[in-house]
Amino acid sequence: MAVIVKQVELSWLDRTYFWPIFKGMVITMRHFLRQITTRTKDRYTVQYPDMKREMPEGYRGLHELKRFEDGAIKCVACFMCAEACPARCITIQAEEFSDLNLTQGFEEKRPAIFKIDMLRCIYCGYCEEACPKDAIWLRKDYDLAAYDRLSMQFGKWDLMNTYADADQKDRITMDPSPSTQTKAGLE
Amino acid sequence: MDQLSALLHMSPATLWMAFKVVLVFAGPLTLAALMTWVERRGSAMIQDRIGPNRAALFGKWRLMGLPQLAADGIKAFMKEDLVPPHAHKFLFWLTPILAFLPAALGFAVIPFGQSFQSGGQTYHLSLLDPGNGMGMLYPLAIGATAVYGVLVAAWSSNNKWAILGGMRASAQMVSYELGMSLAVISIFMTTGGYDPHQIIAAQHGMWNVGPQFVGFLVFFTCMFAETNRLPFDFAEGESEIVAGYFTEFGSMKFALMYLSEFIHLVTASALIVTLYFGGWRVPFVANPGVLLSVAAFLGKTLFFCWVFVWVRWTLPRFRYDQLMKMGWKVMLPLSLANFLFHAFLMFRRG
Repeated sequence: MAVIVKQVELSWLDRTYFWPIFKGMVITMRHFLRQITTRTKDRYTVQYPDMKREMPEGYRGLHELKRFEDGAIKCVACFMCAEACPARCITIQAEEFSDLNLTQGFEEKRPAIFKIDMLRCIYCGYCEEACPKDAIWLRKDYDLAAYDRLSMQFGKWDLMNTYADADQKDRITMDPSPSTQTKAGLE
Repeated sequence: MDQLSALLHMSPATLWMAFKVVLVFAGPLTLAALMTWVERRGSAMIQDRIGPNRAALFGKWRLMGLPQLAADGIKAFMKEDLVPPHAHKFLFWLTPILAFLPAALGFAVIPFGQSFQSGGQTYHLSLLDPGNGMGMLYPLAIGATAVYGVLVAAWSSNNKWAILGGMRASAQMVSYELGMSLAVISIFMTTGGYDPHQIIAAQHGMWNVGPQFVGFLVFFTCMFAETNRLPFDFAEGESEIVAGYFTEFGSMKFALMYLSEFIHLVTASALIVTLYFGGWRVPFVANPGVLLSVAAFLGKTLFFCWVFVWVRWTLPRFRYDQLMKMGWKVMLPLSLANFLFHAFLMFRRG
């Protein structure tokens, strides 16, 4: 099929080249002046390590395991997230603990190990949807990188502390109440 | 000056010459290095980008991206110096020198400031004193030898892209030289001499750009072709022939050729300023003195350097046939007409 190329009729002024070139130069100069007088933070380019873009609502980034005010994990180790996970990146090992405390009501099961393989995770957010306790959230961190594969295996305490600094919470490395097995082992 | 030369056991003339040699060699070189920075940051600003700004001195001072120059230089020196197996070894090594020398030499006759008197002697602010018999013919001749750098680079690389780029570039430089020379000749004619000092002296009261505006346009356009810059950078043409005649060049060889293009740019700006914008002359000041005249010359030259960059990031590249058509059918007749017009005016004036 033949394509008819539309010929643009140039005026004599355009055919001199100099006038259109001059117009073009005015345009580029305008861009130059605008860009050079704009402050860095107002420019289109985000100076990445120094400045970070605020991610939109609903962005699915790094996971966080939520906790109660006393530091106890909200997760009850029901394995729903592990089941929902299409990438099979969540590993949970449950444990029991007997000290009933007020915030936790009657629940007495929690994960001893809660591991997410960040190299396999596809950040689909199904775990967040599956969770009956709202214990796992996907938040807005996107700059997840490491020098070796092992440090991309996030354990229970890594996940509980991922947003501790951002939310001004204490970093915790211990459950407030010991597990029954540990107790039994100690006695 | 006299005391210093006595201290060094040199005659004032020799000392002044040595000083000028250093200045004329290092000045354009420094300007060219700075121009690479201007080119990169300026193009970024024109395109609403930011450009290289992360290189920092000792990891601390960014200085608006200026340390990038040092970083690039160090990189160019440290990189592996590859010579492709089928290249002509000798010519391949010779090429960067052939490209660099004409660029560095071209500045020699251009007066970059007003001559001054000291101790009963006149000191001229140009490497070659007036009355050397070469005058403005010298930069034109030296500029013409820059073609050899391009051609030898293309030939020695033994690469199809390189040879295509080299052929196109040399054809372009040769065809635009005619229009350029004719434009310069009409300046020689109205001045009555071809010495740059004479040309600048003749521009007292009225810069040549006024009466010779057409000549200026032709010369300016031809300078883009001569320096191989957009819209005439057929030597490169990334989309069709990779990097053109320096496709095969790497590390410091490439850096030298790249730098020589920028020195050409500085020299071209200086030529434009000398021929059409009164050289070191300051408007409404008859005798600006050394400092002011040098500053004026530098300011004008830098402005034209910027115009070269500015035009480069405004215009797309011409097609090859358009380029040839423009060179032979527009530039040459235009500058011929300009020449004849001024010849006629002189004839009328008697």
